[in-house]
Amino acid sequence: MENDELNSLNEEKLFSGLLLLNAKVLGLVLGLVCGVGLFIATNWLVIKGGAHVGQNLKLLGQYFVGYRVSFVGSLIGFVYGFAVGNICGGFLGWLYNKIALLRE
Amino acid sequence: MVPSSSDLKEGNKLCPESTVIILGGGPAGLSAAHECLHYKVRPIVFEMGSMVGGISRTEAYKEYLFDIGGHRFFTQMANIDHLWREMMGDDFLTVSRQSRIYYRGKFYDYPLKMTNAFLNLGPIESVRILLSYIQAQISPQFPEDNFEQWVANRFGWRLYQTFFKTYTEKVWGMPCQQIQADWAAQRIKGLSLKSAVINAMFGSSKVKSLIDSFNYPTRGPGMMWDRFKDHIEKNGGEVNLNCRATGISHENGRITSVTYDRGEAGLETLPVAQIISSIPISRLVKILDPPPPKPVSDAADDLSYRSFLIVVLIINKKGLFSDQWIYIHSPHVQVGRIQNFENWSKAMVPEGPTSSIGMEYFCTIGDSTWQMTDDTLIERAAAELAELGLAQMTDIIDGTVIRQPLAYPVYDQNYSDNLAVIRTFLETFSNLQTVGRNGMHRYNNMDHSMQTGILAAKNVCGDQYNLWQINEDESYLEEEQTPLVNSTLVEKILRKSFARIDELAFATASGTLAGLIIFLATIWLIVKGGANVGQHLRLIGQYFIGYKVTVAGAFIAFAYAFFSAFLFGWAIAYLRNLFLVLYLYRIKKKSEMRSLRDLMDHL
Repeated sequence: MENDELNSLNEEKLFSGLLLLNAKVLGLVLGLVCGVGLFIATNWLVIKGGAHVGQNLKLLGQYFVGYRVSFVGSLIGFVYGFAVGNICGGFLGWLYNKIALLRE
Repeated sequence: MVPSSSDLKEGNKLCPESTVIILGGGPAGLSAAHECLHYKVRPIVFEMGSMVGGISRTEAYKEYLFDIGGHRFFTQMANIDHLWREMMGDDFLTVSRQSRIYYRGKFYDYPLKMTNAFLNLGPIESVRILLSYIQAQISPQFPEDNFEQWVANRFGWRLYQTFFKTYTEKVWGMPCQQIQADWAAQRIKGLSLKSAVINAMFGSSKVKSLIDSFNYPTRGPGMMWDRFKDHIEKNGGEVNLNCRATGISHENGRITSVTYDRGEAGLETLPVAQIISSIPISRLVKILDPPPPKPVSDAADDLSYRSFLIVVLIINKKGLFSDQWIYIHSPHVQVGRIQNFENWSKAMVPEGPTSSIGMEYFCTIGDSTWQMTDDTLIERAAAELAELGLAQMTDIIDGTVIRQPLAYPVYDQNYSDNLAVIRTFLETFSNLQTVGRNGMHRYNNMDHSMQTGILAAKNVCGDQYNLWQINEDESYLEEEQTPLVNSTLVEKILRKSFARIDELAFATASGTLAGLIIFLATIWLIVKGGANVGQHLRLIGQYFIGYKVTVAGAFIAFAYAFFSAFLFGWAIAYLRNLFLVLYLYRIKKKSEMRSLRDLMDHL
């Protein structure tokens, strides 16, 4: 059974690695998702129009200074969304890696 | 890469003083001799039979050619494939495989096909097989010591008993419980999990398989070995037929001479510089002079072999059936496998209305089958062929019998220990190497046997290959690697793709991030101040009971968010790992089921 054991050892080695996140990539991805998401959400409301355009979404202006539910606001929202998403993704990846490596 | 024959240019004379003695003119011995020529070393082959090829020779009876057991040519080793094609040129047929199993009066397509098997077995038996398979997956039997457990654990007891038990026991002449599981593991190598994953990840597997088609020399495998012989002789080597080695002298850890019997010409002795032996390892030990220590001799005596005989029946019609061979799984007849040579190559039978059928019987030297007279064997084979409904007794017009002793090394309970003793002893000789199926007492296929011969020849010329690694390292079965840059890169990619997420780390990181976001969001509003601080954010208190937009509330929110996101993150990581494992398990099972498709081909 030597051969079987060797194979299973190799397979074990192959499939027992620890996943480490690339914090930069995760930050970039989350940043884009948030930025584009906010950009689309804003413009969707702008296109729909109505009496009180984006009365709830505009509350984001509490945090994203200068943000409004308008086309220009969507560009500003994109920048904010990207920045926040980027920081969150980067932080998530960095912290996960630290803890995972510490535990390993 | 092996240099081609054309690399042996005229004028490149062999060194007469540099010779290698090769015992045995089968695939391993001839390949070793062929390889020696590339290094200007003169090979001298001694073959005890009257023709080369060993068990893969082609015999002839009248104008009918037949193969001793049906030898398909298929290999993953590029150098061997190249060598075959170089030798055979246009005389190398590509044959579409067709074979079936005969069981309880019915013919089943083999490799098994679900619809065909279902129709033959009927719905009740099919469901039983399925349930038995599921049971084996849920509660396999351990330890997995023998062949029976090995197969039953993978495919279920019912499938094992239906399709594999009887035939396996016919081949090996012993209960499946006595066959070692490592024999199964060596012979029946499924697609490795790694390869299966590579195929799954990098596109469809370009599976080339013995299952679908194989190559075959126009006039049987013997044609290949005759060409090897011609090539060796043409380039300065010697192939001596009807020469049986009877003594091998040694001194101070070196083989010094070999004595061989030339029949009527008597005994002759030749000094030895290097020797490669493909004769049965137990026999090699026996002819050593001085004899080996008793434990070695006892170990050699204890190695056992399965023999084989083929009864060739000449039938007065063509096209009896379209298969190249049929596995006979019924216990009420002795025949194990039936060959229809005209379906291997039309040139195996003469033109005209007749054909030849090979009835294969697995036996042991000295048992009742082995001792039967040729006439009795022919009578029995004819009766069994008729009983199976494949021909009428009146169609059978002639027959002959060929006996092949020591056809298969037996992997019984002691073989491994015995082999280790012999191997350790033989390794003390600095100029002796053993190659091939019987030379190493390993159930190698033709390509692996050839490779051992080739590497032994390279070792003679200075390399240091471990011949015992062949077949352990090199995947034989049916997998054509996806052509990626290199295996290290593939391994790197796989390791990254299939690495597990640390659930606790991911959960903690997610929780911390979520907690910080809501904490900062609360503090931010407090710092900003105003008439109605956090009138919307406070709605979170609907879920996070006790939360308010205050500094204390920020800490409460942190705790709530951390806990919620912790659970959420852990669930994501856990599920991701779980599905990854399930995916790998599915690939592994799929790969095992693939090996079931041609399990019997490897018995």
